[in-house]
Amino acid sequence: MEAMRPRDAEPVAALRLTALHKAFGDTVAVDHVDLAVPQGSFFGLVGPNGAGKTTALSMAVGLLRPDGGRSQVLGVDVWADPDRAKALMGVLPDGLAMPERLTGRELLTFLGQLRGIPDDVLTERVQELLDVMELNDAERTLVVDYSTGMRKKIGLATALLHGPRLLVLDEPFEAVDPVSAAALKSILVRFVAAGGSVILSSHVMALVEQLCDTVAVMAKGRVVAAGPLDAVRGDGTLEEAFVRLVGVDVGDREGLSWLAS
Amino acid sequence: MAGVLSALPTEARILIRMKVAILRHSMTGGKAALMVVGGVLGLGLAAGTIWLSLVRTAHPTVAADLLAAVYLMWTLGWVVGPAWGGSTPLRADHFGLLSVPRRRLAVGLLGAAFVGVTAAVTLLAFLSLLVYAARLGPASALVSVPAVVLQLVFVVLLSRVAAVAFGVVAKSRTGAAFTGVLVAGMMVLAQSGWMVVVAIQVSGVLTTGFGPGFAGTVRAVPSGWGLVAVESAAQGRWWWALGALAGLALLIVLLLLAWSRSLGTPRRARVTIRGSRALAAAGRGLFAGRTGTVLRKELRTWWRDPLRTQTVFVPLAWALGTTLLPLTFGEKLLLPWAAPALAVMAGASAVNLYGQDGTALWLTLLTGSERADVRGRQLAYLLVFGPVTVAVAVVCTAWSGLAWAWPWVLALVPALLGGGAGLAALLSVVALAPGPDAHKRPDNPLEHGDTTGQANAMFWGVLPAAVPAASVLALGSVYDNALLLWAGVPVGVATGALLAWGLGRVAIGRLRARGPELLLLMRTGRSSKPVVRIEVPKQAVRTSLIGWTLGSIALFPQGLVPLVFLLVGVDVKSWFLAMYLPGPFQLPVAAAMVMIGSWLYYVAIRAGLPKKRPAASEDPSGEDASRELESV
Repeated sequence: MEAMRPRDAEPVAALRLTALHKAFGDTVAVDHVDLAVPQGSFFGLVGPNGAGKTTALSMAVGLLRPDGGRSQVLGVDVWADPDRAKALMGVLPDGLAMPERLTGRELLTFLGQLRGIPDDVLTERVQELLDVMELNDAERTLVVDYSTGMRKKIGLATALLHGPRLLVLDEPFEAVDPVSAAALKSILVRFVAAGGSVILSSHVMALVEQLCDTVAVMAKGRVVAAGPLDAVRGDGTLEEAFVRLVGVDVGDREGLSWLAS
Repeated sequence: MAGVLSALPTEARILIRMKVAILRHSMTGGKAALMVVGGVLGLGLAAGTIWLSLVRTAHPTVAADLLAAVYLMWTLGWVVGPAWGGSTPLRADHFGLLSVPRRRLAVGLLGAAFVGVTAAVTLLAFLSLLVYAARLGPASALVSVPAVVLQLVFVVLLSRVAAVAFGVVAKSRTGAAFTGVLVAGMMVLAQSGWMVVVAIQVSGVLTTGFGPGFAGTVRAVPSGWGLVAVESAAQGRWWWALGALAGLALLIVLLLLAWSRSLGTPRRARVTIRGSRALAAAGRGLFAGRTGTVLRKELRTWWRDPLRTQTVFVPLAWALGTTLLPLTFGEKLLLPWAAPALAVMAGASAVNLYGQDGTALWLTLLTGSERADVRGRQLAYLLVFGPVTVAVAVVCTAWSGLAWAWPWVLALVPALLGGGAGLAALLSVVALAPGPDAHKRPDNPLEHGDTTGQANAMFWGVLPAAVPAASVLALGSVYDNALLLWAGVPVGVATGALLAWGLGRVAIGRLRARGPELLLLMRTGRSSKPVVRIEVPKQAVRTSLIGWTLGSIALFPQGLVPLVFLLVGVDVKSWFLAMYLPGPFQLPVAAAMVMIGSWLYYVAIRAGLPKKRPAASEDPSGEDASRELESV
């Protein structure tokens, strides 16, 4: 790890985005975003719909080519040295397909083989992951027939399979039932405790407040606030800080007067 | 229009307006041109049907027999249509939550189903019944009016019920195979239907009349009942006339009931395809390593995915259908070419390998396994289509009894299979057609991106792969040299291997370089505006369509077919211009048609090629992309 650390500075960030930029036509989806996820932190990225969270994370992991800027995982540039960077991270994108006509076990096994994990280690890991994710009951179900929650769980399993140092999770808890969510949370907390780093995006403030030690708030493609949780939320809750930062008009006084009147 | 509308139930009026709005919005660019071309072709068919009702044949009932047969074909067209053209813009499940009784919704949707080019063209074709009835007398003409209306309502309704049935069937692999065969059957009829015409001419039934079996059958099925009513009225058999009309009306009521019932079923039970519990342990030989891993994954997908089942069955049924059709007039000449045809069409059918798997591409990108992925897919393609093609080659060539065809078949099949494996991989990457992800289309596993253009490019693009082997074979034939002739086989194998390897290599490089862009296209391409938009001006679309249409006519039925007929000595005139000319002009005219057809194809391809233009970054429809990215 020494090689990745500049001689006189602090530890390299687990994920560092530098002036990352993406525009689709006239719409700027991500506007020169700088972000650093410190090693060993549990980082929450929050923002309203359309803030650019998914676009930013896609560029960060190498799934969407940025118009400008850099993304480094533990000091390794994702776009210049993709193979090394991609081995260091586990990714759970939101809403993307899998090789759908495989069972969960087949999917994990094939992925492990593609990642070059030795067979005996792989068999053990796959079994363990299926146990933890409680996907053993669906032994013969193909991924295409999985429920949304099951898809999240198998997705998280694929992200964990090769023992990454950084987890990048886009909306990991959406549509996951509370029991499974609790199991997933405890896995992530253990992962961070063991020295790993996590960045997750979410709409759910309470969840981010409960899990994360560091947060960033995105709005309209920009990071409007970032830092330790307590610094960002100040005296109130994260939700209040969020509403203040994003400047949403809650608009609960007017309109829809006919509803349930 | 407004006056007619106000007579209809409210639901029907609203739904018809919705349909009109949807049609108006979809009348843009290439789609509009396709609609116009389709409409013109349909008008031609309708005009042909009316012409048939005016023809006076030597045998009195031949025209009526043919008319009944043509009505049956129109009906079948309406039945097959949904499997061919995908779902209708207004679907019952869109309205599942409205508090409208099912039967009224059914009537409303039925009303909307009449709004469209197809219904208008069909109505025109069915007016032929009125024309025919007018020839028989005023009583028949009177009966024909309700008959035409009932017949039209019947086919439209039947098509809706068939669509529901197909939707249920398509969920299993057997159903996918079935629809695949059906689609291939339509293609064979459209491209090679003239063979049936030749068969009819050869048999001479036009002068002697059809047998009672044929005449009875085409009238016994509901599509012929309108004609029965008209004929019975002419003969004064009023009960028959009334019975036939009442029968049609009863059928319509039954179909409407069946359809409205199906609208209420919220989500039909799915046929789930189960995986195996067995461990996917690392394999040996071909199945080892990263490429082997992808190969094993792909083979499982080919086996389990209904869309892949269809991908296998369309080329198989098409190749067999096309080459077996001449057996209707006792000609075995095409039989040996079933396998090469299968090899060509297999590529055209598997031209969207990445599009079929949708956004699953992210895993390939994140594991950096682009090379293994392309190679694994190519190997799987060869393992799926190779054995089938070889089996077809052996069986059909042996059956044909044409000994000279053996070296040709054995040389062309490997060249075309290998060329297909290479070109299909390449086109899958460079001309990806995005469609909905598998888990987002549980109600119709066969829904996929539109690959018409790619399949055409593949079909013609793979033919040059046969050139080296064919040259050696031709030389061997000319000099009557067996050694030279059989040397074509290793040449074919070498061409195939080289093309599969080389084009695959280009595909790998392209996938490495443009992987994220392909993923973006698949993520956002579901919207009506594709992100990496290929700008083809309207003029070019028109030129291209005209080129393909006229080129096809000139090259095949007017060029190659009469050429083969002249060389082999078949004397059938049909609509082959060259066959009507005096002797010395026949060959040159057929040859000129081949040249004209080829030139028109060239023009069409040139017009269809997109103008070079940087992708995604400066695309005006990017707004959709950013929105979609956030919401997926």
